[in-house]
Amino acid sequence: MDHRQRAQLQRLLAYLISLAAILITLFPVVWLLTISFKTQRDAFSMPPKFIFEPIWDHYLALLDKPGFVQAFLNTVYVTALGVLIAIVIAIFASYGIHRFRFRGKKLFGVWLLMAYMLPEFLFVIPMYVLYQKIGWYDTHIGLALVYQVHSLPFAVWLIRSFFKEVPSELDDASRIDGCNHLGTLRHVFIPLAAPGIAATAILTAIWIWNELTIALSLSFSEAQTITVAVASFRGYTSIAWGPMSAASIVAILPMLIFAVFAQKYIVKGLTLGSLKG
Amino acid sequence: MPVLRSKNFAYYLIAPAVVILIITSLYPAVFSFVLSFFNWNWGVQFDFVGARNYLDLFRSPEFWQVLYQTFLFAVVATALELLLGLGLAVVVDHLKFGAGLIRTLLLTPLMVSGIIVALMSKILLDPMLGIVNYVLNALGLPLSPFFGATSTAMGTVIMVDAWWQTAFVFIIVLAGLQSLPQEPIEAARVDGASALQSFFRVKLPMLRAVLFTVLIFRTIDTLKVFDIIFGTTGGGPQISTEVMQTLAYRKAFSFLQMSESMTIMVIFSAIVLAISLVYMRLEERLEDD
Repeated sequence: MDHRQRAQLQRLLAYLISLAAILITLFPVVWLLTISFKTQRDAFSMPPKFIFEPIWDHYLALLDKPGFVQAFLNTVYVTALGVLIAIVIAIFASYGIHRFRFRGKKLFGVWLLMAYMLPEFLFVIPMYVLYQKIGWYDTHIGLALVYQVHSLPFAVWLIRSFFKEVPSELDDASRIDGCNHLGTLRHVFIPLAAPGIAATAILTAIWIWNELTIALSLSFSEAQTITVAVASFRGYTSIAWGPMSAASIVAILPMLIFAVFAQKYIVKGLTLGSLKG
Repeated sequence: MPVLRSKNFAYYLIAPAVVILIITSLYPAVFSFVLSFFNWNWGVQFDFVGARNYLDLFRSPEFWQVLYQTFLFAVVATALELLLGLGLAVVVDHLKFGAGLIRTLLLTPLMVSGIIVALMSKILLDPMLGIVNYVLNALGLPLSPFFGATSTAMGTVIMVDAWWQTAFVFIIVLAGLQSLPQEPIEAARVDGASALQSFFRVKLPMLRAVLFTVLIFRTIDTLKVFDIIFGTTGGGPQISTEVMQTLAYRKAFSFLQMSESMTIMVIFSAIVLAISLVYMRLEERLEDD
């Protein structure tokens, strides 16, 4: 076997491995999708049915299930609110860290990192007690605020690394043109880092949309999110697969569609943060 | 980048972030720490008990078992995800056509919520009606009870986590591989290094920092695992898959033992933060090299 043949064989092997990985990655989601369209009998049939008559019943039943549509809308609202708070506050904080030297800067950085690392139940229970007192338990704003423990450090870290990419000549030029600090932020940093800020917003949205631990402990009915609603099907896992699968698909779909359109941003956000630090 | 010295202005910029951090992380940390020295079960009773909560935990075999299982889960899942993610990244980096599409498809699990991953795996891995056991049987392989037996449950939740999070390692390592400088790789090839030699001697050392970052993220994230265990085994059978966060949840919301739950979390947070600090120190040293 000569050199070229070996290279070809290697490439063939690489494609085979990739194909296997794609199969393992996608099959569970596709299987869940088929079950959401199966009758109970078809879902439980042995051997498993690959060809069956699809039904919409499980999806229609979700519309009648108390609170499910509400949970979906709650999640849209809480996600938007959480992303907005995280991005606005992180833009200012990142600008502060990036452009200024001040006492306590290192402490601030370490604090952000520590907050990000904390296990959820350390802060969820104290927040529960606080929220019961001030009436923020089971509210959208209450959830959006607690999500900041994770989202804010993440956003500061990412947006800061996008600010680092802004060429310093532009920064200098804007100052010579008479821009003050906020003017430079508005006219130089925000426009130039806009794709990065978008990437940060998208990743934050995906995280909040999918979060369970915090939502499970701090929401009940009024602000219940989609993951908590899906988790309530937990008891059905061995009884009724259809409703559970349909609810799961409804919860996944927005993020999958999101991923298709924003894939470039997602990869950019995920990789820049880790490659540049 | 000129660093300016307008001190006060910088404080205004970070003030909102600091306020949020105080409410969402400083207050809870202090509250939990204080509560761990009291006896409180949601009621009016609120007695100072000193270090008794800690001593009770240290004497309980259940606590040590759960701590051990948390680390077992984290170490095995992280190692598995790093190996699989690195391997896949190397393979996809090798491809000439379709690498972009393959990357997009492999990214899918990261878009799926942990609780849905959990419920989905319950359907696929059902011992009687699941398709995985059906396929194993058709291939003449032994069936598995998966989540249903103490001997296999932990391995199964680790496998589920690997399905979910390997893509995270993959995507970052792939970007790392694609941004490596070409000269040293080319030089090694000219010197007659094989693909394997070039990988282990040239590429892998250059990827060190990226791999280390991924290692930190995956270690901390797997230590804090909750969703997929809550959604699949709930910590069982018996307590064979119970981890620190599911234990704290159960104590606080099922048994209403708030002080005990907070004590567990204070100890666990100290462990997690200590590990992050050690990692950060190591990372600094790595960058200095």
